[in-house]
Amino acid sequence: MDILKRITSFFAVIFGVLLLTFLLIHLVPGDPVEVMLGESASTADRVQLREDLGLNQPLIQQFGRYLHKLSLGDFGQSIHTKTPIIELIKTRYPATLKLAFLSLIIGLSIGIPLGIYAALKAGKWQDLVVTIVSVRLSAIPAFWLGPMLMLIFAVWLGWLPVSGMESNASIVLPALTLGFGLSAILTRMTRTSLLEVLNDDYIRTARAKGISEPNVIIRHALRAALLPIITIVGLQMGSLLAGTVITETIFSWDGIGRLLVESIEKRDYPVTQTCVLVVALSYVLVNLFTDILYRLADPRVKFAS
Amino acid sequence: MIKKLSLLILGFWVIAVLAGRFLQLSPNDIDLNAILSLPNSTYLLGSDDLGRSILARLLRGVEVSFLVAITVTLVTMTIGVFVGLIAGFFGGKVDRFLMQITDVFLAFPGILLAIAFAAVLGPGLVNLMIALCITGWVSYARLTRGQTLSLRNRQHVQAAESLGASVPRLIIKHILPLLASILVVEATYSLASVMIAEASLSFLGLGIQSPNASWGAMLRDAVRYMLVAPHYVLIVGLSLMSLILAINLGGDTLRDKLDVRTEK
Repeated sequence: MDILKRITSFFAVIFGVLLLTFLLIHLVPGDPVEVMLGESASTADRVQLREDLGLNQPLIQQFGRYLHKLSLGDFGQSIHTKTPIIELIKTRYPATLKLAFLSLIIGLSIGIPLGIYAALKAGKWQDLVVTIVSVRLSAIPAFWLGPMLMLIFAVWLGWLPVSGMESNASIVLPALTLGFGLSAILTRMTRTSLLEVLNDDYIRTARAKGISEPNVIIRHALRAALLPIITIVGLQMGSLLAGTVITETIFSWDGIGRLLVESIEKRDYPVTQTCVLVVALSYVLVNLFTDILYRLADPRVKFAS
Repeated sequence: MIKKLSLLILGFWVIAVLAGRFLQLSPNDIDLNAILSLPNSTYLLGSDDLGRSILARLLRGVEVSFLVAITVTLVTMTIGVFVGLIAGFFGGKVDRFLMQITDVFLAFPGILLAIAFAAVLGPGLVNLMIALCITGWVSYARLTRGQTLSLRNRQHVQAAESLGASVPRLIIKHILPLLASILVVEATYSLASVMIAEASLSFLGLGIQSPNASWGAMLRDAVRYMLVAPHYVLIVGLSLMSLILAINLGGDTLRDKLDVRTEK
């Protein structure tokens, strides 16, 4: 039942997201066709574009048309290159996913061990250092960390390529940029949720039974502590996706974030609209998925409802 | 000690801005004989790609940054608190409707919606602030709503209600004062996040436009010239980081002082 309710509200949100992205183009000050094509465009071109975008119809009808086209998988076409937008998304989106996925792995593989370490050393100076550093690290914006990493590892040390996607090593710096912030948040979360369960009775029982300490931590404590971590990862996927916009721009990584920025620079609003929509929908989907996963994984949540 | 340091850094920037005003620096003066020069006696922190003083531009930039952060925080807080109070106080359908709207806004991760709005509105200081205001009120609305929901059932509110106090009076006299400290703490954090958002948008070329100075735009230029003038990106980067950390630390200190428990 609860999951059903969640799915209903999910569709309401999707509808809202569609409406908001649809309305975006109507917020362009003045005539959007004028703004997109520039002053030098011919009258025929303008009429054509207005026709293509359906801007001469009533607003409700336009929205209906927009939804109808989307349901057919038709995202329209780029104003300048006339490429179908779906093609652009198809080529750019996998690059973003690849980047986000690697950042996630980096975040997890730094965050979880550090969090465990801090929890085991709770109250000692090691814990204090890890906590302070991770709190401060999570406040670092990508547009700061990116250039700094680029300066150190690409310009000064010359270990990695500055930008682009030519070599396999190109992904390292952007992924680190995104992964660092995530790892800081995961460290704190792992520490907190592990500390919560470490004092539980069943952990004491496990220890009393003579189970080795690593086994107690990994098989008993961490398993229970994993749920909040899953939620955080789900929620953080959103900032990861948004973070790709800036990170991809810094490192010239041809993902959907960079496509978004390029389309804004060229005033190719249909592309802008679609990019925003795709990123927002991915985020909503990830959230829904996390939520369901969480409910399925934790029996307590089910009983509570 | 860390807390003092954060106050020191904040104080340093405020004094630097005031001093910059007093000294009448010229952040837009172009000197083509000193393009991307290293720090020297004329340009204390070096000069940028058009030979403009990095120091002067940093000071002007932080001024703009403060201006944007304070304005946007005040506007978003007012809107958000208003919406949150209505949703939390009246509950029911009104609440559900308003929260559904906030859900839609929250469906756009991080800065994405601000990017979208800034993109269609076009670049510039005012449009940048509008974009940040449209997207920034949601967190205040959620926070206020949650608090109001629980405060609504407090005895002192119900007592006032049964004595015949009007709705505005109930809200303004009996609920709002109890929200103040939590909102102040939230506002401090939002100052830092608005600053970051402004810098991000300017970094993407969607915010403040040349020749006006902005840290985000400076960082973007600095990245472009990283190979020839690494000191530029280093100076802008370190300045930005010091300020953001100082404000965040200030927020933590304030939270501890006011003893507000937030989930954040």
